[in-house]
Amino acid sequence: MNGIGTLLDDIASGRRRSIRILGASGQLGYGIPAAAFEAGLARRPDMIGCDMGSIDIGPAYLGSGKMATSRTSTKQDLRRVLGGARQLGVPLVIGSAGSAGAAPHLEGTLELVREIAAEDGLSFTLAYMPADISRSAVKAALREGRIRPVDTMPDLTEADVDAAAHIVGQMGVEAFQRALQSGADVIIAGRACDTGIFSALPIMAGLPVGLAIHMAKIVECASICCRPGGRDAILATIDRDGFELESMNPERAATPASVAGHSLYEQADPFTIREPAGAVDLSNARFEALDARRTRVSGADFRPASRQTIKLEGAVAVGSRAVLLCAAADPNFILHIAGVVDRIKEVVRDLVCENAPEDYQLAFRLYGIDGVRPLDVDGAPPSPHEVFILGECLAPNPDRAMQVMRTTKQYLLHLGFEGRMSTAGNLAFPFTPPEVDLGPAYRFNIYHIMEVDDIAAHFPLFLEEIKI
Amino acid sequence: MRLDQMVSVLRSKNAGPLVLTFDLVFPDEDRFNHVAAAAETLRAEVARRYGEALERVAVHIYRPALAIKISIPRKVMSGDPGDRDVYGAQQHAPLLGIDL
Repeated sequence: MNGIGTLLDDIASGRRRSIRILGASGQLGYGIPAAAFEAGLARRPDMIGCDMGSIDIGPAYLGSGKMATSRTSTKQDLRRVLGGARQLGVPLVIGSAGSAGAAPHLEGTLELVREIAAEDGLSFTLAYMPADISRSAVKAALREGRIRPVDTMPDLTEADVDAAAHIVGQMGVEAFQRALQSGADVIIAGRACDTGIFSALPIMAGLPVGLAIHMAKIVECASICCRPGGRDAILATIDRDGFELESMNPERAATPASVAGHSLYEQADPFTIREPAGAVDLSNARFEALDARRTRVSGADFRPASRQTIKLEGAVAVGSRAVLLCAAADPNFILHIAGVVDRIKEVVRDLVCENAPEDYQLAFRLYGIDGVRPLDVDGAPPSPHEVFILGECLAPNPDRAMQVMRTTKQYLLHLGFEGRMSTAGNLAFPFTPPEVDLGPAYRFNIYHIMEVDDIAAHFPLFLEEIKI
Repeated sequence: MRLDQMVSVLRSKNAGPLVLTFDLVFPDEDRFNHVAAAAETLRAEVARRYGEALERVAVHIYRPALAIKISIPRKVMSGDPGDRDVYGAQQHAPLLGIDL
């Protein structure tokens, strides 16, 4: 048993006023600094939480089912937090397993957890919650008009639902509460709202929902809210009136300005945290220094949502990607580069489409010119000392993508242009082969809100006894 | 004065895969107040520099952090073919030279 029954009783009866939550990692799998984590354990937290994923990393991971982090680093981080939680006998809660939180990501994470338990002789009750939403459920909701796009996303179609490689929904507070109530020691969730991981326990204890979600939104990024910001574990102590934040690295200070500033991070509106359960209004939030390194936060208000919703994410394969990595330093070539890359597209098309349709997309990013962002509206075109050229082909299969890229490489190397003097070759290759097959490419094709009647039905809970 | 001479932080990042958000954090109230008072000019200049309709540029004045947040739609969804910045972390440079 995970011991939260005693904690909840103690809070309800007034024997204890506050709950201590350790935010161990905002991106499990990229390394958890040991010293701060150990310092956090010494403070006897009631729960350890880690966020493991995000949509910010792009569609490739959700589409492919692969993790963004290396297996070795992921296992090392899981070993650290599993060991720490078992040593204290407190729940370990991990959300958005394996970067994108779909079935293969969750399975990969569970496999590592079982491996570590066997190697380290750990016994515990494991709870896991898949986040995959069935195509039939999404289509049924679509037909009932219960799906709407997020931001500027187009309306969802049944074809999108069929085409998506994986479709996940973000589970929230409700799912984590079920898992905690089950008595599980270790809880691994598929795709989840990062705030659900950390707010479920204080909300179960009857502490204000707005405060719990505000706290969760900050600690899910570990010590990023500090000055200087960093990856070290952070301790939040939450009671009925507010919460205190303290980085477990003595070099990092949670100051009123640094904590307030964190509300800006990766959110379109700093005054509102939008979650499936409702919205947290931070207009009246207060940030007060307790000392040079600790800040107390209060004032968040919660407005429950009128309808139950799940945010859906899906990614679809858009073909095979191959790239060409090369560069140029000839001033005349750089002067004519825009025209050169336009012409090379025609040259390549004539060569590779002799007996075949133009079934691919060929694009170039010209670093030093406009590879990262468009040219300034009122600036003169840059004349860089050298440019890096990234050629990219998306084609129906890897052979076709590599054919286009290899042809591009050869003809771009020797293409003529006005005033050309460097007739031995236009390109510098950092290594060969300069063409690289990057495998399947994906894009997000589902980013929508689905209204539901019973959220819990979409995120089933499974329990497993892990024994030595 | 140029924005890059007034801010302590000026950054861009995705707020979800379809929104690009800019944070301007000021080191003191004077500079924060100066720019906050010119928020409409700032909004118009962002619209012009990013080729965006004025009504699609959202500006939030966030006094608790002496910060101003500006959000605009992404022209290409994060990670779509043709995207140049999946995280959106390098789209802030056109703001640096805005004179207010």
